[in-house]
Amino acid sequence: MDEMEAIKVTFFLECEELLADLENGLLTMRAGDADNETVNAVFRAVHSIKGGAGAFGFESLVRFAHVFETLMDKVRAGQIPEGAELAGALLRAADVLADLVSAARSGLAVDEERSSAIAAELEAITQGGGADAPKQDAVKDETSLFEVNVLPETASDLDDPDFSFTPMAISLDEPSPPPPAWRIEFSPLKTLYASANEPAILLRELERLGEATISLDSSRLPDLAQLDPDNAYLNWTIILKGDVDEQAIRDVFDFVDGDCLLKVEPFDASPSSSIDIAALIHSAQADESAQAPDAIESPTQPPQADIPAVAAVPIAPRPAPAPAPVPDAQAFAPQATIRVDPERIDKLIDLVGELVINQAMLAQRVAESGLAGSSSLAMGLDDLEQLTREIQESVMAIRAQPVKSVFQRMPRLVRETAAMTGKQVRLITDGESTEVDKTVIERIADPITHMIRNAIDHGLESPEDRIAAGKSPEGLVRLAALHRGGRIVIEVSDDGRGINRKRVQAIAIEKELISPDATMSDEEIDNLIFLPGFSTAAIVSDVSGRGVGMDVVRRSIQALGGRITIASRPGQGSTFTLSLPLTLAVLDGMVVDVEGQTFIVPLNHIVESLRPKAEEIHALGPVGKVLAVRGDQVPLVDIGQILGFRSHAPSPVDRVVLLIENEDGGRAALVADAIQGQRQVVIKSLEANYRQVDGIAAATILGDGRVALILDVDALVAMRRREPPVRPSFDPQQIAAE
Amino acid sequence: MIDLTIQNAHDQIELIAFKIGEQEFCVDIMSVREIRGWAPATPLPQTPAYMRGVINLRGAVLPIMDLAVRLGLPVTEPSARSVIIVVKTAERMVGLLVDGVSDILTVTRDSIRATPDVACDRVRSFVRGILSIDGRMISEVSLDRVMPEMESMAA
Repeated sequence: MDEMEAIKVTFFLECEELLADLENGLLTMRAGDADNETVNAVFRAVHSIKGGAGAFGFESLVRFAHVFETLMDKVRAGQIPEGAELAGALLRAADVLADLVSAARSGLAVDEERSSAIAAELEAITQGGGADAPKQDAVKDETSLFEVNVLPETASDLDDPDFSFTPMAISLDEPSPPPPAWRIEFSPLKTLYASANEPAILLRELERLGEATISLDSSRLPDLAQLDPDNAYLNWTIILKGDVDEQAIRDVFDFVDGDCLLKVEPFDASPSSSIDIAALIHSAQADESAQAPDAIESPTQPPQADIPAVAAVPIAPRPAPAPAPVPDAQAFAPQATIRVDPERIDKLIDLVGELVINQAMLAQRVAESGLAGSSSLAMGLDDLEQLTREIQESVMAIRAQPVKSVFQRMPRLVRETAAMTGKQVRLITDGESTEVDKTVIERIADPITHMIRNAIDHGLESPEDRIAAGKSPEGLVRLAALHRGGRIVIEVSDDGRGINRKRVQAIAIEKELISPDATMSDEEIDNLIFLPGFSTAAIVSDVSGRGVGMDVVRRSIQALGGRITIASRPGQGSTFTLSLPLTLAVLDGMVVDVEGQTFIVPLNHIVESLRPKAEEIHALGPVGKVLAVRGDQVPLVDIGQILGFRSHAPSPVDRVVLLIENEDGGRAALVADAIQGQRQVVIKSLEANYRQVDGIAAATILGDGRVALILDVDALVAMRRREPPVRPSFDPQQIAAE
Repeated sequence: MIDLTIQNAHDQIELIAFKIGEQEFCVDIMSVREIRGWAPATPLPQTPAYMRGVINLRGAVLPIMDLAVRLGLPVTEPSARSVIIVVKTAERMVGLLVDGVSDILTVTRDSIRATPDVACDRVRSFVRGILSIDGRMISEVSLDRVMPEMESMAA
C-alpha cells in the first residue's frame, strides 16, 4: 500500500467516526436538547469530512459537504431556528453524506438524484433562513412530535430591544457580562496557509458575530524580491462590537488553532479613535516581536497573560476580562486512545490462548509427576494460572467493544424502513455502552437489522390503525442491550399489534408446517414464526418478506451459541430477546468422556448433571428412551451413538447424564461415560482448515495438547430426531462411490 | 488453483516423494509447510472415512487426511515410520497421513508425463502426472483435488 493509500484508509476510518458523531449530534438536536457544543461538533464533523475529501479529490462528496457545511454554519450562528424539521432534513443529509463517503471509498456510483435533491433542500433552508429566519417549509413534517421551542441564539438577538446591553439579574456563578467590544489580534502563521485555510473566511465569520472594524497590518511584508510565497506576513486587528462572548470568537478560529497567533481581549470602545490607532500600532509592534522566530508563544494562552504587552497603551479602565468560560468541549474531549490494527490484537488473543493451554498442560504434567500439592512448584503453578487468567481477561477486554457501533447504524435503518412502509416510528436505544467481544459484535448486526425491520414491518401498525386502536400514531421500537449472567442480552421490542396467533397458526397449517389438529400453547404458536419458510406478511414486502424470515435470524444466533426468545401480547406488542455469549474466544464447558474421546459440553446449556437409576429410565418406541426427572420425561441422547462413535447406546445406568436445555426451552438428557470436570476452554474454529461438522460447534485444545471437540448441543438434540447415523466404514468401495 | 504446468517446461522443481503402501507419490515442495511424526488424531464424527480427525498444530486445529483412503487404497495403519505432511493450498492447511517420506527430487517440469489412459477416473483426477526415475514410478498428487470437500455431506 503506498503512502497516499494509507492516508486514504485513515481518512475513511476517521470518516466513520465523524459520521457517527454527526448522527449522534443530529439526533441530540432532534430530541431538542442540543447545546452549542453539539451544533459545533456537527459542524466540525461535516467540515473535517469536506476537508479530507477535498484533499483526495472526491468532488461530489466535497460539493455536498460544502452545502451541508454552509447550512450548519448558519445554524450554529443561530440564523436558522433549530427544531425537529431542521434536524430531520439534516439527518437525511447525513445519510446522503454517509452514502457519498462509502461511494468514495468503494468507487461505486451514488444516487445522484437523491443527493442533489437533498442538497437542493439544504440550500433552500440556507436561503430561506436569513437573519429574520422565516420558518422553512421545504421539509416534510415527519417528526413533528419532537417539535421543541428552541430560543433563537445570541447573534441574531442584537437588534432585539429586550436583549439590549443592560444586563439584568445575574447569578453569582455566571461569568461577568461580556464587554461591549473585543479587540482581536489575528496573526496567521505559515502553517495556516499550508493547511489551505483562508483568513478572509475567518474574518467574514467574525463580521457575522457583530460590528467588526478590521485593519490590516502589512508592515512585515517584504519587498517582492525577498518575499517567500509560502510564508505568512499579514496580521489583522479586529475591533468587534456587540454582545459576543469570548468563546464565540475563539470558536471562529477553532480550525486554525495552533496555526495562528490569536489574542482576544476586551476593548473599551468609548475612547477616541486616536487612542485606538495608537493601540493598533503598538500592538502590531508587540505582535511583531512575538513572532520573532525564537519566541515561542502558545497561541492559546489566556488573554490575561498577554495584557502586559499592551499595558503601556493608555486605554481607559475596563472591566476585567470575563473568565474564559469552561468550554463544554471538555466533556466531549476525545479520550486518549490509540489505534491498533485489529489483527495484532487477534494475534495477541491467539497467543494468550496458547499460554492458557500451555499453562494447563504444565499443570497436568506436574500433577502426573506426583509432586505434592503443597510443594513450592505447585504453588508457583497456581500463581501462574491466576496470572494467565488475568492476562487473558485483560486481553479480551481490549477487544471488547460497546454495542454502540452496531446500534448507531439502526436510526438510519429505522428512518428508511419507516419511510418505505409509511409508518411513523421512533427508535429508543438503551445500553449502548454494553461491551461485548469484537467476534460477537461483528455477527449481531445482521440479526438485529432483521429484527428491527421485522418489528417495523410486521409488528407496528399503520398510523391510522394505531389511532383507531387508541395509540399514538407514532410506533415505538426499543433496542436495548444489557449484561445478564455472563451473557449479553439484546432486546428488540415494539408497541405494535403483537403476534396474531390465529393467523400464524392458520398459515403454519396452510404451509403444512404443523398438523391442522395440533393443540398448541401461545408460546408454541409464537415460536412457529421461527420455522423455515414461514412468512406472515400478506404481501411479500420489499422490507422483510424475502422468504428468509426469522428462521435465518434464529439460525445465525444459534451459530453464535446464542438463543432467541419471543414474548408477545396481542395489541401491546412483541419483544424478541437475544441472549449471546460475551465472546466467541473462550467458553466455560464441562469436560466429559465418551468412548475414550474427550468432549466439551457448553456449560450454559447444562441444567444439572446426575447419575440415573434403572427405574428412572423408560423405553419409548423401538430404540428411544426417556429419563424421568422430577415428573418430567426427558429424551435420552447418547453422545457416542448420536455422533456415530458407537452403534448401540449402552445403558445409561452407571454413566452420567447431563440435563440440558436448548433454545426453545426443550430439554434433553445427554449420556456420557464420565465427567472430568469443569473448565474454561479456548474456542478453536474447525472451519479455518476444514468445515463445519454436524453436532460439533468448535474444537479446543486440552491440557495434554490434544484436540477435543465442543458439542453443539442443539444440533445434537435435533439429530436425535433423525435416523441414528452410522460412521462410514473404511471400505474403499464406498469411498469410490462418494 | 496454481497450475505449475503453464510454467516453463525446463524450470526445475523440487518434489517431496513419499510412500503409500508399495506405491510412490510426490507433491511440490512449495506447498509443504512441515513434516511431522504421527500422533493420534481426535476423530471427527459425520465425516468421510478418509478424514482421520484433527490434531493440534501449535494452537491451530489441523484436519488429518488419510491420503491412502482418499486415493482409493487400503486404510493406513499408522506405524513409527508414518508421517504427516502438512500442506497448504489456497488458505487451508491439511495434514496428509502417509507411510513415510522417501526422497526429495529435483526434476524439470517436462519430465512429468500425463497419467496413462489405463488409470480409472478417480486416479486420473487425483494424480496430476507420472514421473519415472531409475525405474521407479512416482505419481504427482494434485493437491487441489484431494483436499477434503468443504461442504457438508448430504445428511
